[in-house]
Amino acid sequence: MKERWEIILSGVGGQGLIVSGSILGEAATIYENKNATLTSSYGTETRGTFTKSDIIISDGDIYYPEVMKEDAVLALAQVAYNRYVGSLDEEAVLIYDSGLVEDVKASRAKQLGFPITDIARELGNPAVANIVALGIIVKLTGVVSPEAVVKAIEGRFIKKPRVVELNTKAFNRGMELVKD
Amino acid sequence: MEQNRRIRFIQGNEAIAEGAIAAGARFYAGYPITPSSEVAEVSSVRLPQVGGLYVQMEDEIGSIAAIIGASVAGKKSYTATSGPGFSLMQENLGVAVMAEVPCVIIDVQRSGPSTGLATKPAQGDVMQSRWGTHGDHGIIVISPSSVQDCYDLTIQAFNLSEKYRTPVIFLADEIVGHMREKAVLWEPSPDQIINRKKPTCDPKDYKPFKPDEDGIAPLAAYGSEYVFRVSGSTHDETGFANSKPDNADRFIRHYTDKIEKNKKDIVILRRFNLEDAEYAIVTFGCSTRSALEAMKIARNMGKKVGVLQLVTLWPFADDGVRELCRKVKGVVVPEMNLGQVIREVKRVNENNIPIVGVNKVNSEAITPFEILAGIEEVER
Repeated sequence: MKERWEIILSGVGGQGLIVSGSILGEAATIYENKNATLTSSYGTETRGTFTKSDIIISDGDIYYPEVMKEDAVLALAQVAYNRYVGSLDEEAVLIYDSGLVEDVKASRAKQLGFPITDIARELGNPAVANIVALGIIVKLTGVVSPEAVVKAIEGRFIKKPRVVELNTKAFNRGMELVKD
Repeated sequence: MEQNRRIRFIQGNEAIAEGAIAAGARFYAGYPITPSSEVAEVSSVRLPQVGGLYVQMEDEIGSIAAIIGASVAGKKSYTATSGPGFSLMQENLGVAVMAEVPCVIIDVQRSGPSTGLATKPAQGDVMQSRWGTHGDHGIIVISPSSVQDCYDLTIQAFNLSEKYRTPVIFLADEIVGHMREKAVLWEPSPDQIINRKKPTCDPKDYKPFKPDEDGIAPLAAYGSEYVFRVSGSTHDETGFANSKPDNADRFIRHYTDKIEKNKKDIVILRRFNLEDAEYAIVTFGCSTRSALEAMKIARNMGKKVGVLQLVTLWPFADDGVRELCRKVKGVVVPEMNLGQVIREVKRVNENNIPIVGVNKVNSEAITPFEILAGIEEVER
């Protein structure tokens, strides 16, 4: 098992990346007794401009809470994709929304495109694109167990059973998108 | 899971609000400002649940005035702000010093001066927290470096505030305030909580500014049978204005001495790998995280690097830093400002060892690699 996982969730404000990052952090810390940090960079606008969250997950202490070497990057917008496509190395995986990122470029990183937001729409709400993406990330990396994520979803939306159901469905759908 | 111990994945600002409530605070008055607003948000929900009161004020001048009032009425009280609001609070901070009113002021630092970059971090309020209000006085300033610190040290801030009858400044920053991290919210036992001394004398004999043998005067509550006066004017033991030179001299020295002469009790330092260190990083707040990462990388390279974290910024840890400067060959001081703490480190550097600042004011966190470059500089 890797000692330190470094993951970036990027897109534009309003896509729920801090929520999905928090669910990942809760899964790691509350349900798997690991350490995790989540730091976000955002503008003064609430929606529409570039935003990213850095998530570090480790069995040991986490000092510097920002990503130094990306293991996985999620890009849910062209502006986010453009930011990372050129700078990642071979060991990183770049996951992008193929319905939103139209201009795909060459990268040293392994690139995987999925119609994330379209799938979320099919499930009934484009707002769960962040959770579909979380399923992809967890399946690809194994950074936390799927069970811990489901528990974190249940814990976070404890008073809203329908929200739990939709998000769990979105998470499982994301997992299924990744072929073994 | 034990009932009195909750593991949460929350922001530093949320942990500050939870820490305040765990410490017994029951009154918040404030004016929301990025990057401190979550302290207000969580307090507005949580305080009413525990019988407390949350008030959103018209501005920061009113906010600190309200918490001073609530505190003399007997409730532990606090406010949270950032640079622009902290500037507005400076005059009434002096009132809290002069009237010896326990209260906790949380400043989640952002890039300044003025409005600056509202969502971006900085550590530029170090000297303002020490000297921002006019006149000689002592002050306690505590700086957290993790979400757990935000909880634990907020409790400590209230304890010191109550013990020394003084405002305490909790000097956080955008990185620590907004970062989400694992925190254990533990329920303090009664012996882990300090409450202000109350008078036991006959109400007609009560002198609100007459120190006991420990140097601190008991504080009655407004609305009780003890009737007393507090104001911003220089006063004597009775609380009434007194302009005699010997009285002014006594009280102004008292405001400084009650803090500076109790450093042993107040100051918290954390030492990492300093036993065999040849070079040290002296750090505080968010930069501690970069410093510890730099230490880890340097140790892997075979360099004997240690870290001294100033959890308490003020009163300054003269003895601890002086001792460090006697032991190591060089010191690096990373700060997200142009060099505020480094002045204090240099002040106690008796052997004139090399001291290098790593200073960054572009709104981005100092990286471990920038600190490593600083270490290379002192090695030369």
